[in-house]
Amino acid sequence: MKRTHDEWPLALPLAALFVVCFFAPFVVLVAMSLHADAQMQTWSIAQYVKFFGDAFNLGILASTVWLAVKATLVCLLFGYPIAWVASRAPARWQSVLVFIVVLPILTSVVVRTFAWIVILGREGILNDTLRLLRIVDQPVPLLFTETGVIAVLAQVQMPLMVLPLLATLTRIDPNLADASSALGAGAWRTFLRVTLPLSAPGLVAGCILVFSACATAFVTQTLIGGARLIYMPLHIYQQAVGANNWPFAAAISVVFTLAVMVVIYALNRAGRTSKAYAHG
Amino acid sequence: MASREVNRREFLAAAAGAGLAALLPMRAFAQSKTLVAATFPGTWSEAHRNLLAPYFKKRTGASVTQSIQLATDQLAKLAAAKGGRPPFDVAILDEPQVFDGANQGLLEEYPVAKSPNYKDLFPAYQDKWGPKISLQVIGIGYNPNKIKTPPKSYDDLLNPAYKGRVGLTALNSQLGMAFLAELNRIKGGNESNFDPAFAALRAMLPNVGSVAANLGSYATLWQQEQVDIAPYNFNFVQTLKAKGVPVEFVVPETGLVGWTTSLHITKNAVEPDLAVAYIDSHLAADMQSEMEKPPYDIIPTNSKVPLAGAITHTVARTPADLAKIRGFDWTKINPQRTALIERFNRDIKL
Repeated sequence: MKRTHDEWPLALPLAALFVVCFFAPFVVLVAMSLHADAQMQTWSIAQYVKFFGDAFNLGILASTVWLAVKATLVCLLFGYPIAWVASRAPARWQSVLVFIVVLPILTSVVVRTFAWIVILGREGILNDTLRLLRIVDQPVPLLFTETGVIAVLAQVQMPLMVLPLLATLTRIDPNLADASSALGAGAWRTFLRVTLPLSAPGLVAGCILVFSACATAFVTQTLIGGARLIYMPLHIYQQAVGANNWPFAAAISVVFTLAVMVVIYALNRAGRTSKAYAHG
Repeated sequence: MASREVNRREFLAAAAGAGLAALLPMRAFAQSKTLVAATFPGTWSEAHRNLLAPYFKKRTGASVTQSIQLATDQLAKLAAAKGGRPPFDVAILDEPQVFDGANQGLLEEYPVAKSPNYKDLFPAYQDKWGPKISLQVIGIGYNPNKIKTPPKSYDDLLNPAYKGRVGLTALNSQLGMAFLAELNRIKGGNESNFDPAFAALRAMLPNVGSVAANLGSYATLWQQEQVDIAPYNFNFVQTLKAKGVPVEFVVPETGLVGWTTSLHITKNAVEPDLAVAYIDSHLAADMQSEMEKPPYDIIPTNSKVPLAGAITHTVARTPADLAKIRGFDWTKINPQRTALIERFNRDIKL
């Protein structure tokens, strides 16, 4: 197959869309954040000084990143086995499994989140069941707790973890695992030394998708978490809309975007290292 | 072949055209005229959809697209679109936001001459930026299945028996802000000193099981019996009650607090004439009489509509009673909104 280098114009429409719909607004956002007053008259870095000078803001940033990390780990813990089983299943079962995994994204996020309020509430399905089974006497608080937010985020974002993992796992040559066991490695050793490193690209892609989706999940965070669990998206919303303080909201958004990008970069680096290990 | 093949250039042009068309607002293609009107979640969106929209359609032939959002969200969107076309033609604002909206040049002055029903409003409800369509009042909502003795005052929210069962809303809703201001007044504060309110709020926190970040989800919390006692709007309680949710409204010993709600034409509205017709429909005596009936129980502002139903049992028997309902000096509170939201966040954060 002849590989030409004049196909790049095909990327132009997407590039144009990216420039118009992401890059240009981001420049506006940065410009906005560099103003000292809400009327945006004087240029200054006061908003950033304010953000980093206040433990309250830093705490919100840290808890948002930590929330997304925890939700990503839960997704990984539950998603990897599902992806593994699906990758080994016969074609027909594989499509059934994929359908079940994709099911959550077929409903609107708002509807799904309201359904979770019904499940997690004090008089909700989960608490009713726990009381029926006499596991607890008093309802366990789940709604408006971080545990609740993590559970819902994990369910909502699961497809983003499973699908990339499934794609890489199905591409791994099954002979490799056979070779490993023929050479005397046990099942766990084969998994840790062969399958896991080879699935790293899918794993990293899944983690990046889930992490960024969880960190920025405004609807789930606010409906399940309420106003007492303040994460960055709600903080930005309150500053922009409630308080009408656009420059500060812009500054928080820029900091948040960069923080998410740093984590994604780190994940990518980790992915490349493990790929080098698998192929080295 | 005679049939003309589409060449690459034409294909790309057509694809780009289709892509751009998808980005354009839908109403550019609408057959008949459509008015885009903002409304609040809950009682208001339901009353506007079920009563006002059909009435308006009969009067003008045009249809209405609802845009459900809080007053603060509307102002933010109007401010962002300033200079261009606003995302909706009619705004619905609570008293505090009217000052902000007018000061920021986001509202059009209301053309009284084009609105035949305007003159029937009580003078207190006439406003050059847009007529007041109702008065909203807050008191205490409670679940009679869970709380056998009806609450008497806001101090009941501090009763240790209600641990984890008290609900609040964030300060982006007018309900949250008005409750804070009233709590402050009761505890001895005033518009320039909110310390008493925050002290009371901190004392209340062990009881607070839910602070809704979103007023739209507040109703669900009552339905799910996640919240058993909380400050609430009279109208929202009536609407929930009509749906079979166990909730009752009581007027606290300290009295009712209220604020006016009004409709406005947004600056550079796409359909300014339809906007006037829509707002004027809301002022009509027959419309307001309909809205006054359950399950909405919306307090009328038209002098030709006598007070009736649940309003007269709970809120006011006469227009004179309505005039006595306490309000706040929002011109003093508005400039502190940012600071209050920030302080509230810090105090309630888990």
